[in-house]
Amino acid sequence: MQIIISNSSKEPIYEQITNQIKSSILAGELQEGTAIPSMRNLAKDLQISVITTKRAYEELEKAGFIYSIVGKGSFVAEQNLEVIREKKLKVIEEQLGAVISNSREIGLSLDELQQLLKILYEE
Amino acid sequence: MENVVELKNVTKKFKGFSVENIDLQVKQGFVTGFIGANGAGKSTTIKMMMNLLKPDAGEVKLFGLDYKTHEKAIKERIGFVYDGNVFFEGLNLKDIKRIVAPAYKHWDDKIFLKYVEQFELPLNKAIKTFSKGMQMKASLAIALSHHAELIIMDEPTAGLDPIFRRELLVLLQELMLDGNRTIFFSTHITTDLDRIADYIALIQRGQLVFNKSIHEVAESYALVKGGMDLLDRDTEKDFVHIHRASTGFEALTDNINAVKNTFGDKVVIERASLEDIMYYLKGGMHHV
Amino acid sequence: MFNLIRRDIILQKRQLFIFIPFILFFIFMDAHPALTFLIASIFIPFNTYAYDEKTETNILLNSLPYTRTEIIASRYLGAIVYMVLAIGVTSLALFAFNKTFTMNDIAIGSSLFLLFASITFPLFYILKPGYITMVVIISFLVLASVGPAIVLFLADRLTAITDFIVNLSVPTLYTGATIAIIIVYVISWGITTAIYQRKAF
Repeated sequence: MQIIISNSSKEPIYEQITNQIKSSILAGELQEGTAIPSMRNLAKDLQISVITTKRAYEELEKAGFIYSIVGKGSFVAEQNLEVIREKKLKVIEEQLGAVISNSREIGLSLDELQQLLKILYEE
Repeated sequence: MENVVELKNVTKKFKGFSVENIDLQVKQGFVTGFIGANGAGKSTTIKMMMNLLKPDAGEVKLFGLDYKTHEKAIKERIGFVYDGNVFFEGLNLKDIKRIVAPAYKHWDDKIFLKYVEQFELPLNKAIKTFSKGMQMKASLAIALSHHAELIIMDEPTAGLDPIFRRELLVLLQELMLDGNRTIFFSTHITTDLDRIADYIALIQRGQLVFNKSIHEVAESYALVKGGMDLLDRDTEKDFVHIHRASTGFEALTDNINAVKNTFGDKVVIERASLEDIMYYLKGGMHHV
Repeated sequence: MFNLIRRDIILQKRQLFIFIPFILFFIFMDAHPALTFLIASIFIPFNTYAYDEKTETNILLNSLPYTRTEIIASRYLGAIVYMVLAIGVTSLALFAFNKTFTMNDIAIGSSLFLLFASITFPLFYILKPGYITMVVIISFLVLASVGPAIVLFLADRLTAITDFIVNLSVPTLYTGATIAIIIVYVISWGITTAIYQRKAF
């Protein structure tokens, strides 16, 4: 499991950890049932405090990404990827809706918008 | 048992200096950093934890036990490291071990020799010939060799070079892999704590200002920067202390939401470092 | 607690090399055997205080799993242990050099040592570090020079008491003296323990 912490980021360290573990799970790099390092081991490896990894794991548990068994450790929980994908799609639709209405306000054409999106996407 | 150390309303008065009404809990399985300026009362508090000083009033409990009835049982479970060398200077490490080891029921020679090797300490040279860093390593090797559950350290990093300070922090982190172990250490070098501390206790002028997890600290304090025209009697209320300059003000707040409501986007709000917090709290504590 | 007593030997390994020539010096000087026994007994216990006056030593001992009562007990019991050992070694040395001595000399030497210890041990914990060595030397000199004079003076004036002592049978005298010294030693032990309990380091 790879995690990279940035000390200069505005994002708190525990959020950097939750976000990176979340994306590893969503990308399928961490399979369901895989054991993840104990929070004390992770703290040692990342050279951060135990309470930070503890908080990250607690948030991941709350969001249903991992589960912990006392004395055994933490594991990747079963993910309903279909549902997550649908949720994400819905969010994207909403965001695109906002983009379209903003574009109309300043008279940006569909072609121009598509071109802009293309440039940004390939960046 | 969640709190390894519990101080309740502890007061100790000296001529011209006192530590008053300290309520401090140290949580099991975590690292608590004890910060404060020189002379704020860190050593006095630690001495009361070690029963080297007896409080005038209040209660000191370790592992839920009282020193009056369980002094030996408590000290069996503590490993200590002090600022200066407390071992007989003229002796070598082997002889010091001969004196210290029999005091503990659970002394473990194997662990001791492992650390001696890891720290590259000579067994046959007098302690007084050791450098400050080596003396510190020797104290640490002794403190860690009897399966102590609580490691109490008074300014362990003072006078050490940055590389060794970093090595020490890595070592402490390894110790924390054992979830039953607790570390309490005082320091005035706050950057030592950024990496490993779980809880921060701040003492100032003999009074405990707070004892919070690092997340609570980060969420309760922030640095605010903005133009002088924003300040007036009302808006200043949300600041603990304000530093004014012709270029603008910089202030510490302990009420981040109120500041956001008052100033919105007109100010810059940044995470406050422990050093910022110590500095600004020292300047004025009108409502802490 | 035995560890605390044993600690003195580890600490004083080097000084012990001086111990033998030191005693031999007194023997060759033809000092009174009782004085030699006294000096020999004082050697280790008082050397220990040169270490124990330091705050660091007290911080160390009190941070280890020992109680303050034990630390003081180890001083008082240790003093007796080392006195017995010193008397043994000194007796052997006296034998080896064909010097005569009696049980009386041993008794006087050890009683004086115990009395001296009873007076000085509590002082060690009252006085500030740094003054202790001086106090030992001065009080020893005072005791050695003025002591006999005072005894003679008292013997002269208080004939009632001396008559009483002289009239006692030898066994009663010895038993009485032993009990008196033990009482003084135990009281001193109690006082020192009380003082040490209140100390801050």
